[in-house]
Formats: sequence, structure tokens, C-alpha cells
Amino acid sequence: MNLSQRTRKLWPPLAVFGAIVGGWYALAYSLDNNFASGDGSALIIPPPHQLFVGLNETTVDRIVSATFISASTALVGLLISVVIGMLFGIVMNMSRALESALWPWLIGLQVTPIIVLTPIIVRVVGPTFGARVLVTVLIAFFPIASNTLFGLRSVSRPLHDLFTLAEFSQRQRLVQLELPAASPAIFAGMRVSAGLAVIGAVVGDFFFTRGTPGLGRLITYFFQDTRSGPMFVTALVAAFLGLGFFIAVESLRRLIVSPWHQT
Amino acid sequence: MAVSALTAARPAPHHQLQVEHLGHHFDANAVLSDISLNVADNEIVAIVGPSGCGKTTLLRTCAGLLQPTAGVVRRIDHSVGFVFQEPALLAWRRVAHNAALLSASETLVERLLVISGLSEHRNKWPYQLSGGMKMRLSLVRTLAAAPSLVLLDEPFGALDQITRHRLHDEFARLHTEQGFAALMVTHAIDEAVYLADRVVVMSHAPGRIVGEFAVPFARTRTNSLRYSSEFGEVCGLIAQCLEAYA
Repeated sequence: MNLSQRTRKLWPPLAVFGAIVGGWYALAYSLDNNFASGDGSALIIPPPHQLFVGLNETTVDRIVSATFISASTALVGLLISVVIGMLFGIVMNMSRALESALWPWLIGLQVTPIIVLTPIIVRVVGPTFGARVLVTVLIAFFPIASNTLFGLRSVSRPLHDLFTLAEFSQRQRLVQLELPAASPAIFAGMRVSAGLAVIGAVVGDFFFTRGTPGLGRLITYFFQDTRSGPMFVTALVAAFLGLGFFIAVESLRRLIVSPWHQT
Repeated sequence: MAVSALTAARPAPHHQLQVEHLGHHFDANAVLSDISLNVADNEIVAIVGPSGCGKTTLLRTCAGLLQPTAGVVRRIDHSVGFVFQEPALLAWRRVAHNAALLSASETLVERLLVISGLSEHRNKWPYQLSGGMKMRLSLVRTLAAAPSLVLLDEPFGALDQITRHRLHDEFARLHTEQGFAALMVTHAIDEAVYLADRVVVMSHAPGRIVGEFAVPFARTRTNSLRYSSEFGEVCGLIAQCLEAYA
């Protein structure tokens, strides 16, 4: 890809970015009472250039430590989701009976809003790091499980026949045929789960009233502050955290799958 | 069964594959009925028949991928190679790795890659190959396992004519080198006559053998044979038989 092609590819998202910033300014300056504090700082929506106004060292420290809590929760939750999701996919692929036994429960878990399960988990497990991770896993593992199952089922019959004729073992078939063939679908599921893991880590945090707050609890704290800047910065950090997870998984996909898989 | 021998049959050879009174049905649908055929050492037998007559089922049964509901299939050796309609390559393995998937001999893999003209493409991914090259790689992978019996299910069906003719010659050369027995399913009568020692004609479903033709042309065959009147005559006889039972 040459420079002009890259520039052409960059234009559309940059134009959208410009429209968002423009809309943001328009909203900030059109709201009544937004600047009624008297010191020039915004009460409701800070315009982009005022985002960091009012951020002192203590506030920054709190955001950094909350980001660390939420990021580590999301990371551990995502890793566990990958393992559990793939295991569920593999097990359901091995047996139709197991699939019909497990699948309705997985769907049930997926369609239950995590926000109603979180207080139950906190009540049962306690406000621990493990509970935070459990909330994240519950929201993030389904796309990996369903995509793993879909990927494993999409292996063509001739390839299965090839491995049958060559008398490959069940394990060899899984490792050398099914999992590599399913890897594009698994990574597609992981991309969705990466975003969900961050959502789970942040939303679940609302109910963790003890210990160091994550981004979810911190944003509720800043919500009660008169200055809206720190709340917006926390929201932006959460958005960039989600983006970071997505980019990490996408980079891994490009490294492992893209060389041979044409999408 | 209408049997038409165009040349005198050769002396009874050692058979790599024996099929006796084979029948198969899926639920209530009979697919194959009373099929008996043999494939001798070094012999290529082609099966032609209308779509849906059970050719692929017959091949899968011969490979042991399906259990017949009637009759017996005997394979002398366990080393059976199968070339599918599609190349069935591992997309995540490079050409050289695909070629070596079933082989215990690196030397044989290397030699086959050179013979097939794929050696210079050894580090490519399958998606970077043309349709003809993919099929060649599929053949190389099968033959690299040094099978004594090769089953081929319309291996050249999806290729353009020029590529197909080139691959016919390549396949024939590999057969001469390795001396395997082969049972090949094809829709193309000219392909069957050009490659095979015998051509078996199947009827529509339930598939049964309605004709068997010994091909009168000595090996090694060259492309000019395709344009000879004798070649056209043999193809015509087989086509008549096929049409009579289609």
C-alpha cells in the first residue's frame, strides 16, 4: 500500500472524528447552564479542550489505579474466557448429546443481563478480584464458545476423510486439523469477547463497594462531582482500554491467521 | 451386464482391490446394486456414469470410509490414497508441509515436488496457488505416502481443458514411476480413455455396472492420441453405452 492509498484510507475515519469533535463542541456550547459555575469550567459536558481542566495529581492517580484494576480484571477474564470458551466449543463438537445439553444453558446465560447477576455473584463470592473476573468471564466467553463450535463444524468432509484414511488419532485430528481450521472463527469470537471483557470489568465494578475502585466505580464517584471533566476522562480511558484490547486481539489474529487466511 | 472387450484381456493379475456384489443404500434409497470389479497391480480403472449414480459412494466404500450394506470390499494393502474432487489442502500449511503431511519419506516428497513443478512454490500458502497447482499438490500429497492403491474422485473436474490435459500427462508419468493401482471416477469419457486401462460404465441410481471396456492404447500415451480417429471411436462406444443406460 503506497502513501496516497494510505492517505485515502485514513480520510473517512478522520472525517468522522472531525464530525464527532465538532458535534461535541456544538453540544457543549449549546447546553443551558453548562458554564454557570462562574470559573469557566463546564458543569455538564466539557468541550474537548477543557477535558483535562481540574485533573489534579490525586485524580490522575485514582484514574491510573482504577485503569490497572479494570485492565487486569479484563485481561485475566478474557484469558479464562478463551480457555473455557474453546473447551466448551470442543466438548460440544465432540458430542451432539453434550451440545444439546449445554447449548440452551449457554444461551440462557448469554441473554441474561450481566448487571443482574453481578450483585448475586458479589453476595456469594464476596467483593474479591475473583468475583470481578467471574463477572467478566460470564459476559465474555460465549462468543468464543459459539465461534469455536462453528469453526470446528466447518471443517470440510474431504479433510476429515483424509485424516480418517491416514488413521490420525482424535487428538491429532483436533490439533492438526480442527483447531487450525477453526482459528479464523475463534479469533472473530475473541475480537467480540475482547470488548465484552472490558465491558464486564467496568460494569461489574459498579457493585464492588470495597477495595480499590475500578473504572466503573470511579466514574460513579466522579458523577457526583460538580466538575464533569474527570468523569469524561474516565469514560475516555475506558473506551481506549476497550480499543486496546480489540487491537491486541486483532494484532494476534493478523500474526497467526492473516498470512494464510484470505478474508 | 454388457461387456465389450476391445482388446484381448491380459492374464489374470494380482488384484489390489476386489469388490464383490457390493450394494449400498441410504435409508430406503438404494444407491449401489450388485457391483463387482477388480483393480490389478499397476492398473488404472476409470468409472464413468451419470450424475447421482453412486460413483462417489462406490469410491468411499472402496476406501473404507463407508461400510457397504451388501457385498464385500477387499483391499490387499492398507496403504490407500484418496484424491478428492476438491484439493482438500490444509490452508494453514505451506506447500511443502502439505506435500509431506502423509509421507514418511522426505526424499520422495522432494522428488514429487520437483516432478510436479511445485518445488519452486514450496514456501507458498495454498491460496497463492492456481486451481491446477492445488490439484497437483493434492496428487503429490497422496502419492508421497507411496500408496499401493489410489482412489480418485473426479480429480480434474474443476480445471480448464489445457490444465486438465497437462495434469493427465503428469498423472500418467507419476503412475509409470510409482506403479500404483488406481480407481478413478470421472464424468469425462475422453479423460477415462486417455488415462485408464479399463473403463467401467455405471447406470443411473441404483448404480450398477452396465459396461466394461478395455482401452486398446499402449502406454505411454501422448496428447496426439486424443485427436486420433481410434480414440474418438472408443470414446463413442463408451458414450453410446452410457447414454443407453442413463
